[in-house]
Amino acid sequence: MKKAMILLCLSLLSTVTGGCWNLKEPNQLAIVIAGGLDANKDGRLVVSSQIAIPAGLNSQSTGASNNRSFVVVSALGKDFMDAGQNLQTQLSRSLFYAHRQTILIGQRMAEQGLAKQGIRRYLDMIVRNPKSEIRSVIWVVKGGEAKDILATKPTFDPLISTALSSIQMSLGMKPYYFREFLGDALKNGGAVLLPAVSGNSSGTKFNYSGAAVLNKENGLRLSGFLKPVESYYANWITGRQKMFTITALQSQGGSSISIRVKPLRNRIDIDKGPQGIRVHIRLRGSGDIVENNTLLDPSSAKDLQTIQNRLSKEAEQRVAKLIDLAQKQYKVDFLGIGELVHRKYPREWKSLQKNWNDTFITLPITSEVRIRYQDPGQTNAAI
Amino acid sequence: MPSTDSFATRENAIRIASSDLQYNEQTLRALFEHCSDVVFRSVALQDNAKLLLVYVDGMIDKELVQSSILKPLMYDGLPQGLRTLDSLAQMCNLQLVAALQTKRISVFDEVADLILKGSVAFLAEGESSILLADVSQFESRAIEEPSTEAALRGTRESFTEELRTNTTMLRRIIVTPGLKMESFQIGKLTKTEVVLSYIDGVASPSLIDQVRTRIEAIDIQSVLESGYIEEYIEDTNYSPFPQTQSTERADVVSAGLLEGRLAVFVSGSPIVLVVPMTFWDGLQAPDDYYERFLYVTMNRWIRYLFALFSILFPSIYIALITYHPEMVPPKLMLSITALREQSPFPTVIEVFIMEFMFEGLREAGIRLPQQIGPLVSIVGALVIGQAAVQAGIISAPIVIVVSAAGISSFVIPRYRFGYPFRMLRFPLLLLSGCFGLFGVALGLILILAHLIQLTPLGSPYLEPIAPAKENKLLNVLIRRPRKRTS
Repeated sequence: MKKAMILLCLSLLSTVTGGCWNLKEPNQLAIVIAGGLDANKDGRLVVSSQIAIPAGLNSQSTGASNNRSFVVVSALGKDFMDAGQNLQTQLSRSLFYAHRQTILIGQRMAEQGLAKQGIRRYLDMIVRNPKSEIRSVIWVVKGGEAKDILATKPTFDPLISTALSSIQMSLGMKPYYFREFLGDALKNGGAVLLPAVSGNSSGTKFNYSGAAVLNKENGLRLSGFLKPVESYYANWITGRQKMFTITALQSQGGSSISIRVKPLRNRIDIDKGPQGIRVHIRLRGSGDIVENNTLLDPSSAKDLQTIQNRLSKEAEQRVAKLIDLAQKQYKVDFLGIGELVHRKYPREWKSLQKNWNDTFITLPITSEVRIRYQDPGQTNAAI
Repeated sequence: MPSTDSFATRENAIRIASSDLQYNEQTLRALFEHCSDVVFRSVALQDNAKLLLVYVDGMIDKELVQSSILKPLMYDGLPQGLRTLDSLAQMCNLQLVAALQTKRISVFDEVADLILKGSVAFLAEGESSILLADVSQFESRAIEEPSTEAALRGTRESFTEELRTNTTMLRRIIVTPGLKMESFQIGKLTKTEVVLSYIDGVASPSLIDQVRTRIEAIDIQSVLESGYIEEYIEDTNYSPFPQTQSTERADVVSAGLLEGRLAVFVSGSPIVLVVPMTFWDGLQAPDDYYERFLYVTMNRWIRYLFALFSILFPSIYIALITYHPEMVPPKLMLSITALREQSPFPTVIEVFIMEFMFEGLREAGIRLPQQIGPLVSIVGALVIGQAAVQAGIISAPIVIVVSAAGISSFVIPRYRFGYPFRMLRFPLLLLSGCFGLFGVALGLILILAHLIQLTPLGSPYLEPIAPAKENKLLNVLIRRPRKRTS
């Protein structure tokens, strides 16, 4: 009994002296749902936070009151936390970052960064701050500012929190979390693909608009955007796409055939020959024919062959264009070839990694796509 | 004999009956002064010899006394074969009374005790000892279904207040002379019979010795219930955890005895103690061994989980909400925050208020007459659950948390074993309110440390988990099926 009391007293003392007291009632917290990074016209950092208003979230029971479920506040600052400090001046509750599920980067911020430095410098805060959530999804805002997207109201959710990762999942991709972005961004060479979102002109809706290419050799500065279709293929190559629908037009006429491919397999062979490194991208996928407006009958072997060839060719063309885009237009390796070279030839990588993008654009990259069907669907030929 | 004779002095004076009937009668009358229920009945036998019967009205079988004692003596004369007796004294001496148990005693205090327990005393002229015949018969409750230890399968008999009924029940289950029933008389005023029961050769002799010595050492004025004895047998009175298993089921006691444990019956109490008890006994239901082993195993796991849940849920809720909100899923956090917006109290205070209300409701539910019982539940549900939330005094999640934890404490099959779980919630609440999850961990460590050092009657409380006994370990987690050994 006496021993237990002494033990208890010591333990209590250790907590008090250790400063282990951080009680905060939830109604003392301003729960940050999403954060946005923007550069304003003078190139200064603007941090916006979408903050949940819990009372507004619970308004179903009290009838048709027009309570807002969130508020967006923005503040200028030298860095993230400095801006956070300035945000705090507008709020009566203390900012709580641990439930921030979305990080948005405005286009100007992604392009120029602050003081022409790129956004790499701002990765630190999100990892260093213990209250910060590194499972946030991270997106680039195409043609706009992060705070505008934060201010839109998603269709289904009251808050933007899970809407963006749900978009990715419904498009058959894996959600891209900040920790993955961090892992990709910290490796040397190449570029990172971030999903991109854009708002409509009236500022009430947003939609997926492909991917943003961030050049790692340039402080993670934005090199350009991929269109949504291009981003699916890019994700297929990098293994981030789980399912999507390929539609091919028949050569003559406007009739089309669609196949929903799942699962998708990717294999990239890196070989070092006498002429240097060669890359061969092999993509395979099988799926169900979900729409067939052509006269082809999948149940006949000849037609089936035609369908599979047509679809494979369609995909192959897309992939070839994408490789072209990477090597000729953006001149950065956003397909993750560098990392594969690193894994296969770690010794050579040491000398290659410095100017990988320069090496990448000269690489001979070949590709082949094979698409097979599993199930012809409910009917064989088109009705 | 002065009527103000106190208990102590009477005990000191051992008075022996004399051969003078007059004196004996006077002494007894003085002893039982103002006892209107003690009857002195003089009977004249055929030869006008005087015989005095003393008994307590209501405690004896009148039928038996009339038909087999009074009638033969008064009308039929002395038994055949004994033609003449010198005196009634000789008759008493030869114990010619048709009753199963008779005794001859010449100490008045002992006589008085036996009379009070339902014997008839026969006093005869010229006889210096008093004959006592056991003809006791009391009104006793019928055997009913167990009320606190319900089981779907298994015996429907529960113990009654009658010690003999209880021991008989046990005898009917365990049919061996090895089943021992040692009797003790405890309590200076109540003189309660306490029976220590065990199976010879199954229970360890050292354990029997230990319990026997503890029972013999009890020095107490009164024993009203087996709880009195329990506190003398158990090692640590300060522990919140019960160290004797109390049961009102004969099958539970038998199972305990067959496992080498000891049972303590107390006259007047339908609750029998089984010692020593382990923590896991508290979480086992009587029908664990009657039902199919798969269900039982599942039920056992459910019980373990709910026991843990009942002790931890409110404090973990407080710790998560007020100290570690980042650990709660965002959507849940938002809805909890939304519901908490109006509440005027800190979360800890809210939980405390609700816990107290819940315990109050529980206590009220036990004490209220059966007709008012439902009223409490309606008022409880409406007032506490609905109105308090709508009035904004308590936030809705608290109601869920407290009632869920409260209900899960009732999943513990032995009602008494649920007490420590409900009680220890409060210190844990305090700790988690002060230190968050650190406090909860601290509280759990203290509870575990206490449980581990608890060794009632030399057997570790957490056995076979701590100290680990591999061959028995599995039995705590699952109930193994019985196998045919062919």
